[in-house]
Amino acid sequence: SDDFVDVTPPYSINSETFFNSEEDFQNALIGSYDVLQATYVNVIMGEIASDNVNAGGESPTDVIGWQQVDRMIHTPVNSNIRDLWNFNFAGLQRAAFIIENKDNIEFEGKDQIIGEVLFLRAYFNFELVKWFGPIPIKPDGKFELGEEVTTPRSPVEEVYAYIESDLIQAIENLAINSVEIGRVNQMAARALLGKVYLYQEKFDLAADQLNTVINSGNYHLYGTQGDENYADLFEFIAENGPESVFEIQYTGVEGAGFGCLQCSEGNVMVGFSGVRGYTGPVYESGFGFCLPRQEAYDAYTSNDLRRDVSILDIEDWAAETNATYNIGNQDPVTGHTGYYNRKYIPRNNDNQPDPNLTQPNNYRAIRYADVLLMAAESLNRGNINDNLARTYVNQVRNRAGLSDVQDSGSQLLDIIYNERRLELMGEGHRFFDLVRTGRAQQFIDGFTAPKNNLFPIPEEEIQFSQGNWTQNPGY
Amino acid sequence: QKSITGTVTDAVSQEPLLGATIVVENTTNGTTTDFDGKFTLNNVPDTAAIVVSYVGYKSTTIPIGLATNYPIALEPDVESLEDIVVIGYGRESRRNITGAISKVDSESIERLEPQNAAQALQGTASGINVTQQGGSPGSESNIRIRGIATNLDASPLIILDGFEYRGGLNSINPQDIESITVLKDAQAAIYGSTGSNGVILITTKSGKRNQETEFNYQTYVGVQQTSRKIPLLNATEYALLLNESYTNAGQVSPIDNFSGLGKGTDWQNEVFDTAPIMNHNLSIRGGSENISYSISGSLLDQEGIVGSEKSEFSRKTASLSLDASITEIFSINTKLFYAASKNKSLNDFGLGSVLFNALNMAPTIGPEVDNLTNEIDLGNEVVNPLTQIRNTFNDSKTNRLSGTFQSKLEYAKNLDLQGRIGFNTALTQNRDFFPVFDYGTGKVFNRLEDNLVSLGKINDNDYTFDLFNTYQNNFNDRHNLTLMLGMTVFQTKGEGLFGSATGVPSNLYTFADLSLATGSGDNRNANSYAYDVRRLSYFGRVQYSLDNRYLFSAMLRRDASTRFGPNNRVGYFPSVTAGWIVSDENFFPENNFIDFIKIRASYGIIGNDRIGDFRYLSLLTGEATYPSGVDGSLINGVAIGPLSNPNIKWEEAKKLDVGVDFRLFKNKLNFVFDYYLNDTKDLLVSNIPISGIFGTYAPGGSGPTINAGSVRNQGIEIEFSYNDNLSENLKINAGFNLSTIQNTVTEINGTDFIEGGQFGVGQPAPSRMEVGKPIGYFYGYQTNGIFQNIAEVNAHPSQILLGAEAQPGDIRYVDANGDGVIDSNDRVNIGDPIPDFTFGINLGFSYKNFDFNTYAFASVGNDIVRNYERAQDNVNKLNYRLDRWTGEGTSNSVPRVTTAPSANNIFSDFFVEDGSFLRIQTVSLGYNFQENIISKIKLKKLRVYAKVDNLYTFTEYSGFDPTASTGAPIGAGIDFGFYPIPRIYSFGVNAQF
Repeated sequence: SDDFVDVTPPYSINSETFFNSEEDFQNALIGSYDVLQATYVNVIMGEIASDNVNAGGESPTDVIGWQQVDRMIHTPVNSNIRDLWNFNFAGLQRAAFIIENKDNIEFEGKDQIIGEVLFLRAYFNFELVKWFGPIPIKPDGKFELGEEVTTPRSPVEEVYAYIESDLIQAIENLAINSVEIGRVNQMAARALLGKVYLYQEKFDLAADQLNTVINSGNYHLYGTQGDENYADLFEFIAENGPESVFEIQYTGVEGAGFGCLQCSEGNVMVGFSGVRGYTGPVYESGFGFCLPRQEAYDAYTSNDLRRDVSILDIEDWAAETNATYNIGNQDPVTGHTGYYNRKYIPRNNDNQPDPNLTQPNNYRAIRYADVLLMAAESLNRGNINDNLARTYVNQVRNRAGLSDVQDSGSQLLDIIYNERRLELMGEGHRFFDLVRTGRAQQFIDGFTAPKNNLFPIPEEEIQFSQGNWTQNPGY
Repeated sequence: QKSITGTVTDAVSQEPLLGATIVVENTTNGTTTDFDGKFTLNNVPDTAAIVVSYVGYKSTTIPIGLATNYPIALEPDVESLEDIVVIGYGRESRRNITGAISKVDSESIERLEPQNAAQALQGTASGINVTQQGGSPGSESNIRIRGIATNLDASPLIILDGFEYRGGLNSINPQDIESITVLKDAQAAIYGSTGSNGVILITTKSGKRNQETEFNYQTYVGVQQTSRKIPLLNATEYALLLNESYTNAGQVSPIDNFSGLGKGTDWQNEVFDTAPIMNHNLSIRGGSENISYSISGSLLDQEGIVGSEKSEFSRKTASLSLDASITEIFSINTKLFYAASKNKSLNDFGLGSVLFNALNMAPTIGPEVDNLTNEIDLGNEVVNPLTQIRNTFNDSKTNRLSGTFQSKLEYAKNLDLQGRIGFNTALTQNRDFFPVFDYGTGKVFNRLEDNLVSLGKINDNDYTFDLFNTYQNNFNDRHNLTLMLGMTVFQTKGEGLFGSATGVPSNLYTFADLSLATGSGDNRNANSYAYDVRRLSYFGRVQYSLDNRYLFSAMLRRDASTRFGPNNRVGYFPSVTAGWIVSDENFFPENNFIDFIKIRASYGIIGNDRIGDFRYLSLLTGEATYPSGVDGSLINGVAIGPLSNPNIKWEEAKKLDVGVDFRLFKNKLNFVFDYYLNDTKDLLVSNIPISGIFGTYAPGGSGPTINAGSVRNQGIEIEFSYNDNLSENLKINAGFNLSTIQNTVTEINGTDFIEGGQFGVGQPAPSRMEVGKPIGYFYGYQTNGIFQNIAEVNAHPSQILLGAEAQPGDIRYVDANGDGVIDSNDRVNIGDPIPDFTFGINLGFSYKNFDFNTYAFASVGNDIVRNYERAQDNVNKLNYRLDRWTGEGTSNSVPRVTTAPSANNIFSDFFVEDGSFLRIQTVSLGYNFQENIISKIKLKKLRVYAKVDNLYTFTEYSGFDPTASTGAPIGAGIDFGFYPIPRIYSFGVNAQF
């Protein structure tokens, strides 16, 4: 009879019957963390969109989507912008899968898991709202097929309210310290919430959260204590170190291929940013994307320790070490500059093939220096406490070998903005700092406000939604 | 009137024929022969004639004279109307077949001596398109029957001696094959949810009853070489164009000194070898009164024309067939097939393949340079292909045992019950070793730190159990009725086990085993999978004929499959066929040059269930891996895999066929015409593009499989064959077949188009499935010559959105939608890989002891995408680039060379070529020794022959081989540096004793 064909697949787990044990929750949580690795695309593309770097690559048409973003001529047809949408929603959906099953069972330690999940969901949502503005949201669980034509893009304020609510719940659930190195803790959630508030110019709230992180005493600027050396901040030795509030973990122990970049356990941005055809000490070769501009290099004073930590001058380095390398894209607008993003280029290491895709460099998503500067900005812009703001800025400056500033008011704000650029060079924050402070058109060639404040919704998504979602203005 | 006696024998083997019919002409007075071929017929008028007929032999009419004993020898006739054709759970005479079938018999296979059974279908039968997946030894073939109507697996169902065979045609010894029958239309509905791609029924040779033991030995040896090399730049030309490309961009020329460059390294000469091929086959067949048997064994050994023994294929087969009548009413039949194949393979496809590297390597680099670090930068993918060959270590073995046990019980008059079990069991083992090697800085093939060994073991098992009852009867000499009812149970299950580790001692393949490898922790991995798929089917068929000239059949099959969810688990597949033998009508004029006309038609619904398993369930098969912050080791979790679709159901193909068969001029000329119209609806599209919000772009995720569209294939098929004995010494046979395909996508739900294929690096998918267009058509920019000067550039919309502003010498793209902007919306249909028509020709002569045979086939109107040029500044180029634009008026077809930004390499019709071709596939000349000479050395038959395969291809296509095919319905016709099918010169001997 037909019972013969009524079988369950051997050795597999059905999603309908999952979440029956603590282990199920832990395993699903790993699935949600996994997609963080795909956010390398947010970082490198954020940097390319800014005035810090040229797109680079092999030729002026290599990874055409990035080249177009660099020139600010991108359109809704752009597979790289689409990656951004797809990868971040993938992470979101995996977190939502746990949220919608969170009441299945009770066990000790569930709060911590749910807290981490809520943080991750907020992290992905925040990235999406930064890039795309209004997005569809579904706080109670996964998106189900068909909802793309019924669920509207929620206004930015609603998205932010949703992110805030997730983070506030996460803070309630999370322990102050990570259950394991690399995992989300309460301070990471507070730092992210502070950032979310800052983006909305809720300066009081932002300063509260960020001050809590600072006052926790759990973090300090790397290089200021013990035998730490600031120059090592972006080396393997300082990973998950005292400056790391939230860090995305990567490793080179598993191979990867171009067919699924988001599947790599390595930091794809790093291989893509490496020096082309490099042979020599310390570094490994890569694809030559994300090339700091002369103007970015010149933004540092020569006594600023951050310059040579942030930017590799390949000609000097080659002269010094006899290293050899190749030049790819030579286009004046998007090509070779002689500089590389030293924070995130490959170091010599034992990683699996394709070595360009499996670099183990962790991404310092939220650094304590960033927290200090965000706090300073909130305190200053919110007219809360310029003295404290100045103290925070000077901590960051001192670590870079620079002297204290004495300014306050708008002079201090200009200094804070400049310090943000110098401190966070190559880390993917610059574009959004310029946009949220209304300075993007002033600094970024080709940028038109308000059009370029947001990136276009991928054309494919507009089609899938059958008109439910309209394109961002100007595209 | 008198009684006569006689003996009917096979004219060739002189074996007696059991069951031959002897009838007095124009009467019903007749009889049949006994086991010894003898007969006695009473009441024969003195002036009468007797008609002697036997299935598979030419009938003969003999006038009765004074004699009373008639020894009658019947000539075998494989092409005769009485020829029996297998049609699935039964047989039918060719005369009464009402569906569209094509058949290739053992004679054709003997004439072709193919290495792979699929090649026997290439160009020999209409409506069947066979393309090899590559020229590397052991490559399987893609077989497409009447076009492509699915974007899942489009290969036909293979039924070997009644059971579903899953080994691929390449694991069957071609010399074991008696016949290949292809069901092309709704007649295949008896195979229900598995038959919509068409069904290939293979019958293998068995022994014959009362046959003296016969030994057949066949062998050939040959050499293979590439049939083509692509014209590339030599070192001097390369340096010239390279410098020009830098100068054109205002950059420093990389090569200062031309002296001594000369022609440099010809990388194609370096990688192509002349490689041997060898085959032996021995078979023993015979039978006694109640038992017949056949055993055979074969060995094929083939090296590759690239990398010789590094791409070796060997296949050993053994088969056993046993047929026994246990009692008058009960018989059993067993066939067993064993195949052991061994394969070593090079990277032979796409970016990074050996041939791709041979085409792109700079000719200025010497063949001995293994590490390209200080050489000109060729990008991260191009390495020395010789080094690559040397560093390739792998081994894949498959041991397969398949077989069928059948029994037949004739339990009552006109009734028989058949039961049979067919099975396949296969063990596939892979071993790969990747040594530590530095190809040069940044090369993607580098393994700098640690080598790697990986092993895989896959066990696949299945069985098919058939039970069916047949009733056959004849009423009033007018009504012929056959009823068949049956069921089939099918189950396949298996598992795979994989492991890998680093740290192979001494970096040597000889030590490449997990037991010796030292890697531990994250340097040692294991994985596995398992599956279980089942199908339960019930079916019935009625075949009815009136006066043996009005023919009718109807069938219905019900399938239930584990592949589909409870909502759509069961499907019904009905079909009807009908035929009318016009030439048997009384009104049909006698003594006409027309011997036979049959008009036939069929209509029915067939299914396709070739999707992945359990797509209706949401399984947690996604990738969920994240490194520990403590020590960087990997932590594994779970995540959702492909999105599910609980309502998934099979594809349904509605197939209509109208055909007519003619036999003319005393059966010398045979003509078949068919029109077909196949509408496939509920097309299953796996990983259908859906909004990213559903998370399908997560690692290990993918879109759901949904029933998303409809495709129509229609066309005509024509087959001619001509056989004649022009004189005692000169015989001729000739065949021609032609098929047309018109393919149109008629509907897609849920999305506007589905993309596929790959072009260049990082470019959008080049192939699409879209309503109103052929499936897998090429979607790219249209070009309109070359910008000759800046005025022309300025007069044209900006091309900046394609990647760069145009300069004189760049390709001009057409503003197809006329909106004054050139962007991705200007992409249009720039060709498709589906041929307008294909045809095959075969011609054979035999003159005295010599025989000559030739086969050719052609494909017209298919396009191919040239995708083996790496768009990198410094790689070598094809020599058509010498005709580049260098100034106003110099070229309007080949753009300038430049390292400056340009949009010249985006996917456009510049890269699409006409892939039409005519290939002379086989030319052979044989000599058959006189029987009286060879009988002295106890031989019955001895033929020696010389043969050339893939002799010459007429084509305008510039790549290695216009038959290049990837097989994927969306993404076909894209040539990644296809490994060319070798030309083979061989010499062979066939002996019978």
